[in-house]
Amino acid sequence: MRLAELEAAVHAHVLAGGELPAALVEAVAPPAEERWQIYTDGYRLRLAESLGLQYPALLTRLGTAPFAALAEAFIVATPSVHRSIRDYGRELGAFIRAHSSAIDAALLVELADFEWLLAGAFDAADATPTTAADLASLAPTEWAGLAFRAVPSLRRLTTFTPAVAAWRAVQAGSPVDEGSPVPAAAEPVAVAAERTEWLIWRRGLATEFRPTTAEEAAALDRLTGGATFGALCEELFESHGERAALRAAAWLKGWLLEGLLLRV
Amino acid sequence: MRGKLGFGLGLRPVHYTSILEAPPAVDWFEVITENYLVGGGRPLDFLDKIRARYPVVMHGVSMSIGSTAPLDEDYLRRVRDLAARCEPEWISDHLCWTGVGGQNLHDLMPLPYTEEAIEHVAARVQQVQERLGRTLVLENVSSYVSYTSSAMSEWEFLTELARRTACRLLLDVNNVYVSSRNHGFDARSFLDGVPVESVQQFHLAGHQDHGTHCIDTHDAPVRSEVWDLYAHAVRRFGCVSTLLERDDAIPPLAELVTELGHARAIARAAHAEAA
Repeated sequence: MRLAELEAAVHAHVLAGGELPAALVEAVAPPAEERWQIYTDGYRLRLAESLGLQYPALLTRLGTAPFAALAEAFIVATPSVHRSIRDYGRELGAFIRAHSSAIDAALLVELADFEWLLAGAFDAADATPTTAADLASLAPTEWAGLAFRAVPSLRRLTTFTPAVAAWRAVQAGSPVDEGSPVPAAAEPVAVAAERTEWLIWRRGLATEFRPTTAEEAAALDRLTGGATFGALCEELFESHGERAALRAAAWLKGWLLEGLLLRV
Repeated sequence: MRGKLGFGLGLRPVHYTSILEAPPAVDWFEVITENYLVGGGRPLDFLDKIRARYPVVMHGVSMSIGSTAPLDEDYLRRVRDLAARCEPEWISDHLCWTGVGGQNLHDLMPLPYTEEAIEHVAARVQQVQERLGRTLVLENVSSYVSYTSSAMSEWEFLTELARRTACRLLLDVNNVYVSSRNHGFDARSFLDGVPVESVQQFHLAGHQDHGTHCIDTHDAPVRSEVWDLYAHAVRRFGCVSTLLERDDAIPPLAELVTELGHARAIARAAHAEAA
């Protein structure tokens, strides 16, 4: 058997199990099938373990056995295409959305997405954010043309469930029941079962996140999407009138303080 | 490529803080390449800080040098970029394949030991050495099955590959032992069959013995049978840079430093015996 055929046959066997080409493997004790199981089981165990590390709050929320069942189904449906196992599992939220009949599936989807974005921010590319001090020497006429892009770690998420409160509850070591009162430690906005926009990013080495309003999120998206500061002010004129520039400047000051932007 | 680094440990995130707070008596660290193929943040920050104190070697798990899938040029670029950042003493990976068709099994799959496989792997080793601009170091893997198509021993395969490509070898002494038990060959014949001048590094790790076969688990201290084989390796190859690995049930750093001390003692005694 040619090398390419052998590798294709073995690869398929590890993914799906099933019949091994009889001529492929030497007969040994214990039987070859049992030896092969070290590879087929190892594949699933390794990916499942990695998913548990990527989604610790989801694992805690679901419990060990249900999470293992979810991981098993996901692994069967989603072969890894990544060199680093740490990159495996991005689609878990979408998989839950498509396949889960759990009563809290919507929350689980958002919890998974939130954890994935946190992990992505954790080791995203380093950058030195632009600060207010960097802009201090700008002439008044230069402000309208200011343009920015997001620091590489900035992620955005929209939630419709108390997924972030569930995440906080897991962090605090007390699984939350959606029907229960708001945990004292959580911010009220974090548990509101309504549309909430989130910013997730890394400042220095620390991963941070906060909720924001739809309006601020839209403005940040516009600015990091290529609109100049002047264009943003013009767009805000419709909703804020004469105060548009003040509103935009206040947001910009906050974003610079939080380290969200890079001047381009 | 420096010759001898002494006795090192595999760098694991759980030990980052301990290493920086009280730098241990470890000569060098081996880092899993893929753990640092990221943009930034804590992993690379810790790597930079530890690299400032210790020599490091980059050890990959997904180059898939034996695969018939095309070489992953993007992966090689990222490896090269990481090497430019952390300036490793050398870069190693495994003599195996990890998948085909753009997929990754995240396992070290054995190759058939055939002339066709040698030709295929040798050509890829040459390409990788060109891309990385340095000599590649390749490790023998633990294996649980052998192919009917194999026409030579694993050590003959390794030897011929090293001869054709001038790549260096990372002899994992535990893997030699595990595979010897699984395939019924004499572990010392393996070591005696590998050319002394090709060996760059040793690996030591723990495994699980299931009686009829062994599994390379890296979840326990090195077993006495492997220490015996290590002594044999030192007598044959000299005091080659030695690295202790632990990937599961990872104990406190001090415990691994103590185990590494055991490796030092065995190597010292074996070396004196051979002299």
